[in-house]
Amino acid sequence: MVPVLDARRTIDAVWKLESAKIIAGLARLVRDVGLAEELAQDALVAALEQWPRTGVPDNPGAWLTAIAKRRAVDHIRRSQLQVRKQEQLAHELDRQSDPEPDDLLRLMLISCHPVLPTEARAALTLRLLGGLTAEEIARAFLSTGPAVTQRIAAAKRTLAERQVSFELPGEEELGARLSSVLEVIYLIFNEGYSATSGDDLMRPGLCQEALRLGRLLAVLAPREAEVHGLVALMEVQASRSAARTGPSGEPVLLHEQNRGRWDQLLIRRGFTAMLRARELGGPPGPYVLQAAIAVCHAQARTAEETDWAQIAALYGALARLLPTPVVQLNRAVAVGMARGPQAGLDLTDPLTGDPALRDYHLLPSVRGDLLARLGRPAEARLEFQRAAALTRNAAERAFLLRRADALAVPATTGPTLGSATRAFLADAGLDAATVRSYGQTLGRLGLALGEGLPLAELTADQVAEVFATAWGGAAARTWNRHRAAVRSFATWAELPEPAARLERRAEPRSTTTPLAPGRLDALCARPGLALREQTLWRLLNESGAGVRAALALNVEDLDLDDRTATPGITWRSGTARLLPHLLVGRTRGPLFLTDRRPGPARTPTADLCPETGRARLSYERAEYLFKQASAGLTLRQLKPRR
Amino acid sequence: MRYLMTTNADGSAPDETLFAEMGRFIEELTASGVLLATGGLGPASILVSSSGGEITVTDGPFAEAKEAVAGFALVEVRSEEEAIELARRFRRIVGDGQSRIQQVFTD
Repeated sequence: MVPVLDARRTIDAVWKLESAKIIAGLARLVRDVGLAEELAQDALVAALEQWPRTGVPDNPGAWLTAIAKRRAVDHIRRSQLQVRKQEQLAHELDRQSDPEPDDLLRLMLISCHPVLPTEARAALTLRLLGGLTAEEIARAFLSTGPAVTQRIAAAKRTLAERQVSFELPGEEELGARLSSVLEVIYLIFNEGYSATSGDDLMRPGLCQEALRLGRLLAVLAPREAEVHGLVALMEVQASRSAARTGPSGEPVLLHEQNRGRWDQLLIRRGFTAMLRARELGGPPGPYVLQAAIAVCHAQARTAEETDWAQIAALYGALARLLPTPVVQLNRAVAVGMARGPQAGLDLTDPLTGDPALRDYHLLPSVRGDLLARLGRPAEARLEFQRAAALTRNAAERAFLLRRADALAVPATTGPTLGSATRAFLADAGLDAATVRSYGQTLGRLGLALGEGLPLAELTADQVAEVFATAWGGAAARTWNRHRAAVRSFATWAELPEPAARLERRAEPRSTTTPLAPGRLDALCARPGLALREQTLWRLLNESGAGVRAALALNVEDLDLDDRTATPGITWRSGTARLLPHLLVGRTRGPLFLTDRRPGPARTPTADLCPETGRARLSYERAEYLFKQASAGLTLRQLKPRR
Repeated sequence: MRYLMTTNADGSAPDETLFAEMGRFIEELTASGVLLATGGLGPASILVSSSGGEITVTDGPFAEAKEAVAGFALVEVRSEEEAIELARRFRRIVGDGQSRIQQVFTD
């Protein structure tokens, strides 16, 4: 018999079990989560040095806590020696050193604080409450270790700078703050449960992590019905994990799942959580309603026994509370089951024009299903093909294409939208730039209507509808460019002229006329305008610099006191007021950055901000954003008249 | 990952302190979302065996009382090491005896 002991892996396990409690206790002491985590990490390093020699202590959690607290005391003594008498401080620390049950709740509320962007909240929560390493979090969210490290560091910095309070909020505010925690936990769960991209349909580690956090929260905030609702929802959804995929990893739809593979233990836990939520009373919130729907499904012993009328009613209530397009879509599915496919299809019709669902593969997927049940296989196939083109998940794409192929559709003769656009782009004698531009327009058309749509069935109305959804809000020039592409294609393919429905929009006459006085102030006063845009526009206006020169600026080029930057750019008070806010803590790298970090496959080699991992804002993107905001002006027009 | 931990009885009667400590441990495991189910098992057991197609049901006495499984816990953890660590803590509370950890396949 060989004793199983690998010190490093044991320490890792102990850390994951204990770190949240240690960090939470320290955070109360030092009032800074970043510092608390550092001190806890110091203790971990000490363990890594000692335990392999001395063995894991009897109570490893207490050991780590003691070391970390000693470091914390040293730290506080160093920083506060001047301010307070030592004895007084020692007394205070003694008094504060017992763990408090609320420590973990405080830590959760801070990790999910509304001042942080959602993805940072999720990363910080997994880090501080799950004890996950940056690499583990990166793997979960298909990101890179350094990017996650930066995201977490930025989040901690924001919390420190904004001096986020460590006190527990009062009864009234608690509900609002908890909803942010619930949102993060459910986001983590969903990222694991329905992996939005990649080759796997599920990342079970994330689901488990979210469940753990939810169960913990239910103990910490037992009087909140929505917390129990979320736990119930996750337990019941997780109970279906094993049944959700077939032998080759393809998704199996809920009503086709082998219910024998549902995990009865988790279902029962879900029911118990649901009962707790109901006992607390009050009008049901969104998580309780979603849990009730999940419970309804779990209660049916066979798919046929599903109480669709009840589920449709619950979705009706949910849609009143949370009228998002996705909820409306789910409601359409339920109604389609309760009252027949036509009723469901009717509910999806208004959704097809919703820009929020433009690229959401489940909409055509649901419509495909309803159309197939209505005995309209040709339309159903098109919808499945569209759904397949939109999903980023490989397993799901294969599944959707199989569903499309399984439909008995009489062979279509003649060209399809896809084949015709390809032929048009190849044969019409267009130059490369035009092919690229037209390709973009027609590609969107194909995505929206289905590449497999027989060309003969394409109607002007359909084209007009796609236009309204895709480019309805675009600037005149963009609209006209797409319009030109479609018209040219229609002429080539001898289609009914859609132009009657697609009027040419008037473009601003001269694109180099400088802005009218006061126009920039009006643009900058728009609610919700990003600081980056505001700063860039002011800078261009006040400095008269070229757009490319401004975008090429680096943080280290700036002299804020002097209001100058090295390539000879100077500005005035408007820009000077904004710049410090744009910089917050950055000391080098590109001045104007993109909103998001580049995806792992698209990481550019140069011009990344060393502190945030974001790339330099491109000319095209900057121009697009200004055009959007100003209804068609160009950045060059910001340059003042000589 | 799910693990089933089974524990043998060691014959000695548990005292008040042990119950209190066990209660705390179970509470903590439940709160942290690790413990899915737990329970104690009666000392009597019945053996159902099949040999050459013949099913025999007998009162299944164990050769020694301490071989009998006295309780089980089903836990959900991130690694085998975590399961071992939990078992270690459990054993420290209950004293002499044996626990066995086996992974439960869920898919």
